[in-house]
Amino acid sequence: MKKTGDHIHTNTGETIDRKKFLWYLLGVPAMVSGLGGLSCNRQKRITGKFVGNSSTIGHMLRDTSQIPAPSKEIKTQVLIVGGGIAGLSAKRWLRKNSKLDVLLIEMAEDVGGNSAYGENNVSAYPWGAHYLPIPSLHNIELIDFLHEHNIIIGFDTKGLPIYNEYYLCHDPEERLNINGHWQEGIIPQLGVPDEDKKQIKRFLTEMDVYRSALGSDGKDAFAIPLDNSTCDEKYRALDSTSFKQYLTENGYTSTYLLWYLEYCCKDDYGCNIAGTSAWAGIHYFAGRKGKAANADPSAILSWPEGNGFLVKQFKKEDNAGIMSSHLVYKLEKDEKQVTAYVYDAAKKESITIVAEKIIMATPQYVNKKILADVAPDRSVDTFDYAPWIIANITINGMPAQRGLALCWDNVVYDAASVGYVNANHQNITTNSKKVLTFYLPYTSDTPKTERNKLYAASYEQLQDKILEELNYAHPGIRQYIEHMDIRMWGHGMIAPVPGLIWGTQRHLAKNNIDNKIFFAHSDLSGISIFEEAFYQGIKAANEIMGT
Amino acid sequence: MDKSTTNDSIAARPLQVLLLFSVFVIATCGLIYELIAGTLASYLLGDSVTQFSTIIGAYLFSMGIGSWLSKFIDGDLLKWFIRIEVLVGIIGGISSCLLFILFEYAVSFRIILYTLVGITGILVGLEIPLLMRILQGRLQFKELVSQVFTYDYIGALLASVIFPLVLVPYLGLIRTSIFFGLLNIGVALFVLYRFPETKRYRTTFTSGIVFFIMLLLGGFVFANRIMTYTETIAFQDKVIYSKSTQYQRIVLTRNNHELRLFLNGNLQFSSSDEYRYHEALIHPGMQALHNAKDILVLGGGDGLAARELLKYPSIRSVTLVDLDKGMTALFKENEILTELNKRSLLDPKVTVINTDAFSWIRDNRKEYDAIFIDFPDPSNYSVGKLYTNSFYAEVYRSLKQDGFAVVQSTSPYMARRSYWCINHTIESVGFLTIPYHAYVPSFGEWGYTLCSKNYTWKNTGQLPAGLRYMNKATMENMLYFSPDMADVPTEINKLNNQVLVHYFEEDWGPYTH
Repeated sequence: MKKTGDHIHTNTGETIDRKKFLWYLLGVPAMVSGLGGLSCNRQKRITGKFVGNSSTIGHMLRDTSQIPAPSKEIKTQVLIVGGGIAGLSAKRWLRKNSKLDVLLIEMAEDVGGNSAYGENNVSAYPWGAHYLPIPSLHNIELIDFLHEHNIIIGFDTKGLPIYNEYYLCHDPEERLNINGHWQEGIIPQLGVPDEDKKQIKRFLTEMDVYRSALGSDGKDAFAIPLDNSTCDEKYRALDSTSFKQYLTENGYTSTYLLWYLEYCCKDDYGCNIAGTSAWAGIHYFAGRKGKAANADPSAILSWPEGNGFLVKQFKKEDNAGIMSSHLVYKLEKDEKQVTAYVYDAAKKESITIVAEKIIMATPQYVNKKILADVAPDRSVDTFDYAPWIIANITINGMPAQRGLALCWDNVVYDAASVGYVNANHQNITTNSKKVLTFYLPYTSDTPKTERNKLYAASYEQLQDKILEELNYAHPGIRQYIEHMDIRMWGHGMIAPVPGLIWGTQRHLAKNNIDNKIFFAHSDLSGISIFEEAFYQGIKAANEIMGT
Repeated sequence: MDKSTTNDSIAARPLQVLLLFSVFVIATCGLIYELIAGTLASYLLGDSVTQFSTIIGAYLFSMGIGSWLSKFIDGDLLKWFIRIEVLVGIIGGISSCLLFILFEYAVSFRIILYTLVGITGILVGLEIPLLMRILQGRLQFKELVSQVFTYDYIGALLASVIFPLVLVPYLGLIRTSIFFGLLNIGVALFVLYRFPETKRYRTTFTSGIVFFIMLLLGGFVFANRIMTYTETIAFQDKVIYSKSTQYQRIVLTRNNHELRLFLNGNLQFSSSDEYRYHEALIHPGMQALHNAKDILVLGGGDGLAARELLKYPSIRSVTLVDLDKGMTALFKENEILTELNKRSLLDPKVTVINTDAFSWIRDNRKEYDAIFIDFPDPSNYSVGKLYTNSFYAEVYRSLKQDGFAVVQSTSPYMARRSYWCINHTIESVGFLTIPYHAYVPSFGEWGYTLCSKNYTWKNTGQLPAGLRYMNKATMENMLYFSPDMADVPTEINKLNNQVLVHYFEEDWGPYTH
């Protein structure tokens, strides 16, 4: 209220009253008959399309007979298959720590995997992961990476990292639409009965205990990377039951609390609480142990393009030796080398790449097909993947609302989606146009059934579904929407179903084959987060250098 | 023509007189609606010549369409006439109320305005031809034409005289339009009950008419409440300019002795005392610099800070970065405003850049002798960013080693914590600060923060001639903070906490609720 000599009431409450008043007037039948054209929003078409569907080329793996025979051969010492974070991390580690000749091939048009991103004339925006919690001080490799790229700008006298404040998530961070109002934070508060609040508090206190808990071997009960967690059976046993069962057994019955936990599992794992292991459910709360000189332990880092920003840092470091639009459809292995059969989707021809060693930075459902000849008995059927859709929605304004203003993360109580992120939030520039990144996991049935449902849907059907979701919390938002692109992720993220994380299959799937074929992917951790992919890449690279 | 015998026409004579009286009423109403639309348009949109001329043109043209359309109306003409009267009454009656309320959605305001003018015009255009046809059999043609138009023009005269002299000052625009809406409906009611032919549908029509009368009466009674819902009432003075740009609502008001500029309803300056604010913003910093050449102004799209800067002949360039092109264009083009800022934005030394100041300064690689920051108060998160440590770190980088920066820092009296939060945030990036304040009657006690990289500031420089507020003694006074404005502990405002926006809301809360 700069220089407020004259008093003018401009608090938001009044705007809303005025708006309500207006609608009241427009509701008067006499006016509607006179001014019908004004009150009804004509349904203008919202432009948009499906984007980034590399699944089309990926699905060529189902029937490789159409792929032309290889016409040339390339040689390299190490071949990395898959340009997601695990592949990029492996490549970076080899470049920094060895003199090996490395080539990375990626099926999609660009690297990034689940950290893919896009850009239009309003903002850059994520097509997948959109944030990174500040890491624990023990995660030295990740801290170094962040420091190298000026995301950590230095360290204070106590050795705590000082984060670049442009990248720490700006305030206001999160809001929840509940009981017709936007409250601050996502844990339900507004209109929540005291009994429920008590349960929520009890649950969070219990999670705090888990966060600082140590196993009998002195290791963290829940760590990131999760391989650093304790072997103590007391904690690992939690992996064999579902999170839902755990909650029931511990007397958590509050609908508000259960909604919140369901939201958390959907948001991080793409699963509901029945499909998530109790260990993974608790890990969501107990695994993050970040510390910073200039931020809270719960602080996160985010960028308009989401974790695409981190992908750009990898590319900035080293963009050589990356071949995109290349699909590996078969591997052969002999005593000395591995031969990858690769289809170049751009040139529509095939090549072979002969490598001494190969890192499969690809998910296990893909490996199952590629390795069909080399390792036919490799068993990975507990690995399942949650389907998602992500929409990037360009808006030129928003209807006025009650409560907290637009935040970085905006969630609606009791909705199917996990809400949307304002991609412009970390842009310091003021712009009335924005891009909202909307996340909708398909969790009501088994991943496979849901995936088929997803693949059967048309763009228009999905657009309608998203509009319906958005309109629930933002009545009248449609008229502000200019454009909506949608991306389907049939195999969005590894689902940490009970028994995956500490079961035998994950353990076996990590083992290399004859010191020639190595594995690096976040699904080998059992949860799909940047830190795990980053770690798996380094781990595979170290394995190669050690042999 | 049904019953037009001579006897009947004598019997029906009072009826004809009343019908002609209706012509008079209708004509008055019709002109009133036109005047209301014209007044509202120039009141809200400014530029009254254009507004009046286009409204009158559109209205008369629509009346023409109405007259032309009248030939397609056949059958029970009385019934049609009553319907049209009710419609004119209701649409004309609520027109000003509707325009006031819809003005907030100013992007399409003109469409709404002209649609309303068009509809009213068409309906009014239908009235007279229909009435003439109703009266056709009852009067001789020359009598008919002569009388109808006589009453029509008398009505117009009455309307144009009472509108500015009686209606606007005593009833206000909303009540005036509702009042005339009621008159139109009154004519409908009168026709309905004085003509036996209407008996069949009298009851059905009456219930509808009563409903609309109640509605309009309600509007008449609650007119003041309606006005408080519309922003325009918020301005005490006449709105002479109003525009919604991509970023804000600019409203300029005027009374006998001052101009006031409002951005989103917040007063930015009053021409009567803005010199105090701008002299205090510029001169304490500038007088302490010798030979300052390159100056940066962030915000300040009104060109008033630039006007003060141009009083220093040593200045070679003033770079002014303001988000809103609508704002700087207004202060380059509008005659009243260029008189106020002495055409500063058109000065060849001044370069105006319309972009977001934060992203601009982040990319800036030049160092300036002085930087003046004149942003709106941190009342929301997007402005709050411009008061963060991250922003001031960029300012620090963009300032020469011996330069000064000055930040308008809201009121240390009314928003004490906000003021000191800005001060502490500026200090947190390595600046040394000298807080000072000035009394600007239309704002109250106003605060600034002078920032430097070393203690070189002195109150001994040469001030330009002709200042009305600043001199050496004023400057010394400005440095003293009474205990009720003195320093209080606060957090540092950062992008990831935006504490200032919270402080600001709490500080100003008691003054705005």
